[in-house]
Amino acid sequence: MTGTAAGALRPDGAPRSARPLRARPWLAVRRSIPGLLAARLVGAVFVLWAVATITFFAIRLIPGDPAEAILGGPGSQTSPEALTAVRAQYGLDQPVLVQYLAQLGRLARGDLGRSYALRQDVAPLLVGQLGGTLLLAALALVVAWLFALVLATWSTRGGRFAWYLGSGLEIVAAALPHFWLATALIVLFSVWLGVLPPISTPGPAGLVLPVLTLAIPLAGFLGQIMRESLLTALESPFVLSARARGEGERGVRWIHALRHASLPAISLSGWAFGSLISGAVVVETIFARPGLGRTILNAVTVRDVPVVIGVVMIVAIGYILMTVITDLAQWIADPRLRRR
Amino acid sequence: MHSCIHSHRSAAIGAVLAAGLLLTSCAASPGAGGGTPVKGGTLTYASGDAEPTCLDPHVGGNYPQALVSTQYLESLVSRDGNGAIIPWLAKSWTESPDGLAWEFTLKDGVTFTDGTPLDAAAVQANVAHLQDPKTGSSTGYLALAKVTSTEAVSAKVVRFTLSAPDSALLESLTQPWLAIESPTGLARGMDENCAAPVGTGPFKVESWQKQDSVVLVRNATYTSPPADADHTGPAYLARIVWRFIPDSASRFAALQAGDVDVIDNAQPDTIVQAEKGDSITHLDAPRPGASNRIELNSSRPPFNDPRVREAFIRSANVDDAVTSLFQGTAKRSYSTLSSVEATAVQRPDLFGYDAKAADKLLDSAGWTARDAAGFRVKDGVRLTVQFPVSTNQSIPAERSLFEQIQATAKKTGFDVVLTPMDLASWYTALGENGYDAVSAPYSKVGPDVLRILFDSAGIVPAPSGYFANHAQVNDPEVDALLTEAAAVTDADKRAGLYTQVQNRVLEGFYILPLYDQQNHYLLSSRVSGARAMPTVSTPTFYDAWLPAE
Repeated sequence: MTGTAAGALRPDGAPRSARPLRARPWLAVRRSIPGLLAARLVGAVFVLWAVATITFFAIRLIPGDPAEAILGGPGSQTSPEALTAVRAQYGLDQPVLVQYLAQLGRLARGDLGRSYALRQDVAPLLVGQLGGTLLLAALALVVAWLFALVLATWSTRGGRFAWYLGSGLEIVAAALPHFWLATALIVLFSVWLGVLPPISTPGPAGLVLPVLTLAIPLAGFLGQIMRESLLTALESPFVLSARARGEGERGVRWIHALRHASLPAISLSGWAFGSLISGAVVVETIFARPGLGRTILNAVTVRDVPVVIGVVMIVAIGYILMTVITDLAQWIADPRLRRR
Repeated sequence: MHSCIHSHRSAAIGAVLAAGLLLTSCAASPGAGGGTPVKGGTLTYASGDAEPTCLDPHVGGNYPQALVSTQYLESLVSRDGNGAIIPWLAKSWTESPDGLAWEFTLKDGVTFTDGTPLDAAAVQANVAHLQDPKTGSSTGYLALAKVTSTEAVSAKVVRFTLSAPDSALLESLTQPWLAIESPTGLARGMDENCAAPVGTGPFKVESWQKQDSVVLVRNATYTSPPADADHTGPAYLARIVWRFIPDSASRFAALQAGDVDVIDNAQPDTIVQAEKGDSITHLDAPRPGASNRIELNSSRPPFNDPRVREAFIRSANVDDAVTSLFQGTAKRSYSTLSSVEATAVQRPDLFGYDAKAADKLLDSAGWTARDAAGFRVKDGVRLTVQFPVSTNQSIPAERSLFEQIQATAKKTGFDVVLTPMDLASWYTALGENGYDAVSAPYSKVGPDVLRILFDSAGIVPAPSGYFANHAQVNDPEVDALLTEAAAVTDADKRAGLYTQVQNRVLEGFYILPLYDQQNHYLLSSRVSGARAMPTVSTPTFYDAWLPAE
């Protein structure tokens, strides 16, 4: 998944326009915020229904009886009486279609149901786990943007050596798998240097390694795109005219060129947020942090359908919101979308 | 040497002398520093097991629950390092001559941490809770299968009436899955009781933040340690923070960095690394019950032929693989039972690696031809061994071991197909009888585990498809011996019967024993007095203490 994204974004040497990567023809037509939101809302309902349906059947298609997992686990033998009781209690003795419709009905009423395994309602459970993951993802996004900005601006002005070094760093960073990076950071900062805790702790110190683990590969992606479009922007006539007006190099870069160059990266941030949530599955497990990623991993293992659907719905809503936010951010950053 | 643990009685004699003695007598002893126990302090424990979904081990009943509940729940009886049953919440017990009635006399002056007194009615409520299908108890439910009713003879004496004599009853009752909880606590309903069960233990549950930690605090009025504990009165530690750190490398890094004091599920590489220094001590506590073994499905070809079973076992070079993969942390087993069990029969003569003997056995069984890939063929069918592997129940070193067995068995002509699966899929594959070889741990106190694993009744799957006799041993003589052993209370006669069962199973080549079920704890050398319970090898921190800050 990430591999193809990287491939599609590789510069081919030819000058490129700084258009958003994902074409949004309807955006150019409507150009009003209410219209944009209305279109998004209709799409969102469809997306949520599709996500719930696919998730429900996907998890039911994997072999394995949730009742067995609710009661069991390694080394415990389950009695038929207990299984019957649990099946009845959770409605698992109903036909799959009935279970699906019941699930859909509950979702339509905004009821995420009750966890099979954790013996509590899904909504409060997920609300309790949401904060940790959102904090992690938001910090990682900010840190990734900072890394990418610094690397992109530095490598476009530092000459040929800086260009190759920056480009190399970005490719390596983007290719780092989270589990490897997490382990490497733990060995370096916790075991060798002993400066940062390898697991979550009450203070902010415990956040540093998980945030870096998520931010570094993302910074690689964002940096590649930003540097490419920054370079294109710096060669554009409007930069030349800004220079001609006597603006300093810093002003040219940070105000004119970077605004132009940030568009593709902004549009990528919606996708990035989603990838951060999936990265959270690995990162929360390795660093023993509470959060949605760890919740969904445990839930899939025990076929805890309501929790899996709950997490997937929340992530889908998060994606949709991020897409709207990135659209708005583009609308603000790109005056062409606002004109007329 | 699971029983090799630090003793504070000797430490009290003279710190220096005791420390010296302990260091020489028990190199792997945790907290070999000696000294006078210090009160207070917080111990942080990091578990690699899955976080329990319910802290009451009556519900379901698996090892992660046993690990944490050992700190706050107690059983009627316990077992000492020699396998003898010793008093705990019950100070004495008697069995009727016909073996159908047991009377337990409870310790005086014991109260649950909610103030409810421990009496006969409380024990009755616990038996009823375990036997109620709504509780969903697996381990406890099976252990009490022969108990038909209970009766309060007096406030402190409870009688169990059985449908048939049960020689395993006391061993079953030592297990944390049959711990005694406050009847007031149980009456709150499952949700509340799962979140904070109430027991008589040295600690009590203060809070549980899901996916993060359980906080346990000292029970200041504690009076009921098991007979083999090192002190009386409340525990030394003020608090235990019980964390869940699923990743093995981060768990060990957290121990090295001093963020946690004890970790479980230590892997061979980290044990070897820990043993190089002196800041971490290693506690090797194999689990009781069955050894870890590969079970060969004798109900269908090719393993319905005992010659093919023996050929497979002879073709597998287990010794070399265990040595290289476990780096000396696991000892090869030649038994059906864990080495913790006094009745374990070891038969190294049956399980030596002998490729030539394997070839001859397969030739005599008619698997003479080989196909282009080098695998044996008979009547156009390849000699295939379907081996589903539960990734939840096997550590990485064990999965590598299976791959090495696959490689050596290939030379003899076996096509071993290893299929990694998650737990739920694995259960399903077993229920559909879609396997020829499988490896599943089974922890239980005492040799009665043999009945669960090898009685033909264990072949019939439950409605879920689950069954425990994976080798599908269907031998009337084994059944008869097991039935007799379950009813005999004379210890020597019982051991004799279990010896016969084991020899018959081992000589039938139904299983390939590998090693004891591995259970390693690593402790910061700051921790003194921790030990593993001789019942199911869960750690107890009742006698444990940390140096003053």
